[in-house]
Amino acid sequence: MASVEIVGLKKLYGNVVALSDITLTIESGAFFTLLGPSGCGKTTLLRTIAGFHFQDAGTIHIDGKSIENAPAHKRGVGMVFQDYAVFPHLSVSDNVAFGLKQRKISAVDIKSRVADVLEAVQLSEFAERMPHELSGGQQQRVGLARAIVINPTVLLMDEPLSNLDAKLRVDLRAELRRIQQDLGMTTVYVTHDQEEALAMSDVVCVLHDGIIQQAASPLELYNQPANKFVASFVGGNNFLKVVLKDAEAYLPSAEASLGPVSATQTPIVAAVRPENISIVLGEEKLKKGNVSVPGAINQISFIGREMEVHATTDTGETLKIIARPDVDVLELKAGARVKFIFAKADVILFEDNENGLRLEDGLRSS
Amino acid sequence: MSVSVSNTLSSLRRMDFWTLVTIATVVILFVLLILPIFSVFLVSFFDGKTGELTLDNYIRLFTKNYYISGFKNTIFVGFMGTLGATLIGVPLAFFTARFRIRGKALISTMAILVLVAPPFIGAYAWIMMFGSNGFITNFFASFGIITPTIYGAHGVILVFTLKFFPFVFLMTQTALNAVNKSFEDAAENLGCNVWQRFFKITLPLVFPAISTGAIICFVLSIADFGTPAILGRGFRTLSTIAYSAYTSELGGTPTMAVTISLVMMGISMLALLAQRHILAKRRYASSLTNPPVVKQLHGWRNIGVHVFCYAVVFVAMAPTLVVVYTSFLKTSGPVFIGGFGLQSYTRVMSDAPEAILNSFMFAFIAVMFIAIFSSLISYLIVRRDNAFSGGIDLMMMVPYLVPGIVMAIGFVTTFRTGWFDLTGTATIIIMIYFIRRLPYGVRSTTTALRQIKPSMEEAAVNLGANPLKAFVQVTLPLILPGLIVGSLMSFITAINELSSTLILYTAGTVTMPVKIYISVLDGEFGLAAALSTILLFSTGICVYVVFRFSENKESSFI
Repeated sequence: MASVEIVGLKKLYGNVVALSDITLTIESGAFFTLLGPSGCGKTTLLRTIAGFHFQDAGTIHIDGKSIENAPAHKRGVGMVFQDYAVFPHLSVSDNVAFGLKQRKISAVDIKSRVADVLEAVQLSEFAERMPHELSGGQQQRVGLARAIVINPTVLLMDEPLSNLDAKLRVDLRAELRRIQQDLGMTTVYVTHDQEEALAMSDVVCVLHDGIIQQAASPLELYNQPANKFVASFVGGNNFLKVVLKDAEAYLPSAEASLGPVSATQTPIVAAVRPENISIVLGEEKLKKGNVSVPGAINQISFIGREMEVHATTDTGETLKIIARPDVDVLELKAGARVKFIFAKADVILFEDNENGLRLEDGLRSS
Repeated sequence: MSVSVSNTLSSLRRMDFWTLVTIATVVILFVLLILPIFSVFLVSFFDGKTGELTLDNYIRLFTKNYYISGFKNTIFVGFMGTLGATLIGVPLAFFTARFRIRGKALISTMAILVLVAPPFIGAYAWIMMFGSNGFITNFFASFGIITPTIYGAHGVILVFTLKFFPFVFLMTQTALNAVNKSFEDAAENLGCNVWQRFFKITLPLVFPAISTGAIICFVLSIADFGTPAILGRGFRTLSTIAYSAYTSELGGTPTMAVTISLVMMGISMLALLAQRHILAKRRYASSLTNPPVVKQLHGWRNIGVHVFCYAVVFVAMAPTLVVVYTSFLKTSGPVFIGGFGLQSYTRVMSDAPEAILNSFMFAFIAVMFIAIFSSLISYLIVRRDNAFSGGIDLMMMVPYLVPGIVMAIGFVTTFRTGWFDLTGTATIIIMIYFIRRLPYGVRSTTTALRQIKPSMEEAAVNLGANPLKAFVQVTLPLILPGLIVGSLMSFITAINELSSTLILYTAGTVTMPVKIYISVLDGEFGLAAALSTILLFSTGICVYVVFRFSENKESSFI
């Protein structure tokens, strides 16, 4: 398998910057996911690696070999397409054999390799079917088999599950990950579905406006978002206004200090995950290290395993809370007054602008 | 600066098969389309005798009564023919789309046969029915009833109406089938009665289709040469004036013929631009979540609607039937002597076998090239989104607009130079068929290609096929049905082509339509009928094949 090294990659569409100075390294055998909202440049980056777009600047090396000027058909990277792109006029086995035939591999070898890979994706009994006789999930397996049978240096996947229904998506997700790990195949995976990204990847790379926001393991991405965009895009976050008071971060909504913070020129905000906030009705003694924000309920949605509460603090900031369903809370009417409690330790501070950086040293332990 | 240089360099380095195709296409379009039209344009500004730069030709055209009346006549029959076609095409479309009509497929098939039959067949079949010696004229004359003459403006309008209504009919029908029923339901819910609903909702929604059909009728009417030439008698239109100007200027520079032709083209373009302008603000895209319902009518309404539908298509088909019938009449030389016989066909075999051979050969060779270039050009248009492919797409509209006579004169002035002379050869006829009918192939193939996701080819390329291989192994098999339909449409229209061949043919390169035209002028109706029947039969076979290959049968023909 192969590592991928991208340095200073740039792509413009007219005056629109699709990719701006992308530099990243993908370890050999890693499952590397490009995650971002639509239009962030993730598909452009993938298609540039595949050779369907040419970059305006920058280099791409696969296993130390420069490929950025090779035509798409000579790059030897495998690709799985969002709309499957299974050739409708060829049978399943002819689809899978297509790339092998281009490589002038002997008929005997083609036969055994096609059989092997169809086995791996559990399509052996469908070998002679035509694509229109297959379901969407089966077609996508053909797409995968066709891409991996050529032993690609890198496997590229462009939202391969997004055209499938929810249940199938989760099943196939696990299967994709299993096959990838069995083969140890370096994989670049594009998705806008953060759950998919977190569940499958070794490394998740968040893109926004053609710029890499953060590339890290799923756990690190979730717990230590590099900036405000990542904090809000991955998992969601509540942002509360913070003012500096005597070198301490003071939370007006809680009328409490979060602790000392190193002086900064830019305004800062505090981020709290929705699942880290609890709702308290009535009076309760505040534990040490917690803060309490008074406010009112706007709307409560019961969604089975959990409930989603939308609320407004007395300072006029909106809050979203996700918690285990609680009968007492569910019975509350809009406008009911409650307290929102969370631990200071769960708060992360960011510079207060769209891509504001996380304050490196954060809150100093008090 | 350095960035743009390196960009240019890298794009040169990446010059692939499709770059070569783009260059080849641009060159071919330049030589076969732009150059001839430009040369026609240039010639119109020179004095035929002295060779001086002048506006005289245009001044003469708009001052001499002979030309002005031709101009007025052209507009008049074009407009009236279009109006007639719309007046019968729209109701026919509405009835067949919204009411249960028995034999609906038969009505559509007959409309398509009318569409593909050679235009001038209609004209002379009407002469055989209503001409001075027509059988219907004679039939009524035996009772002492004098039927109105078919010659003149009203005859031309009648033929245009019955010949071109299928465009309006088929386009409007397609549009009506795509109108979401919810719109009509909403109108009814808001208090419209059936008529208000039709005029306030349905008709405006299908107006773009109606106007597109109408504009095709108008452009074809303006360019039509055969009908006014055969039926016009003293009534001259610009196309017949241009042709006689061309034949009288033969040997010299055809300045007047060229000037008239350009004015014809100008009228077509103005009409098209006007329609585009009107349509610009009317784009009604909607999804067909609630398809229209076909209603069963009862009583006299049901009978009335059926009578109308069948009357229209049968009257429109009448000329064709008359021609086939006539071809089997016993003849002695040009004279019908009563009873049935195959003399007309024997005469075709002895007098004009080369016409049949030429027609098939020219059309076949042209269509082979059309098939090859349609697949390549449609790929450029659909997949290569750049200035050149956009320009090529636009250029594909031009052959629709340029009357055959203009194109042919352009070919003569371009390909008869001091160094080489292609006039009188089969090559020049094949070339003009190619360029004039190329858009049919391109359009059909483009439609097919648009339905194929680009990821298909990308997958092939990603698996190691170079762009040419990906095209041949993946794209081509997928667009084959569209390519076949487009090629057949090109074949049908090429084999029926008259106006440009008439200018370019010589004794050795005569084609069926030309031979039919000459025979009609010579009064050789039997011979003309037999040739027309052969032509109709060949066309009919192609139509059948198109039906077999095409998913969207009727709309393949418009």
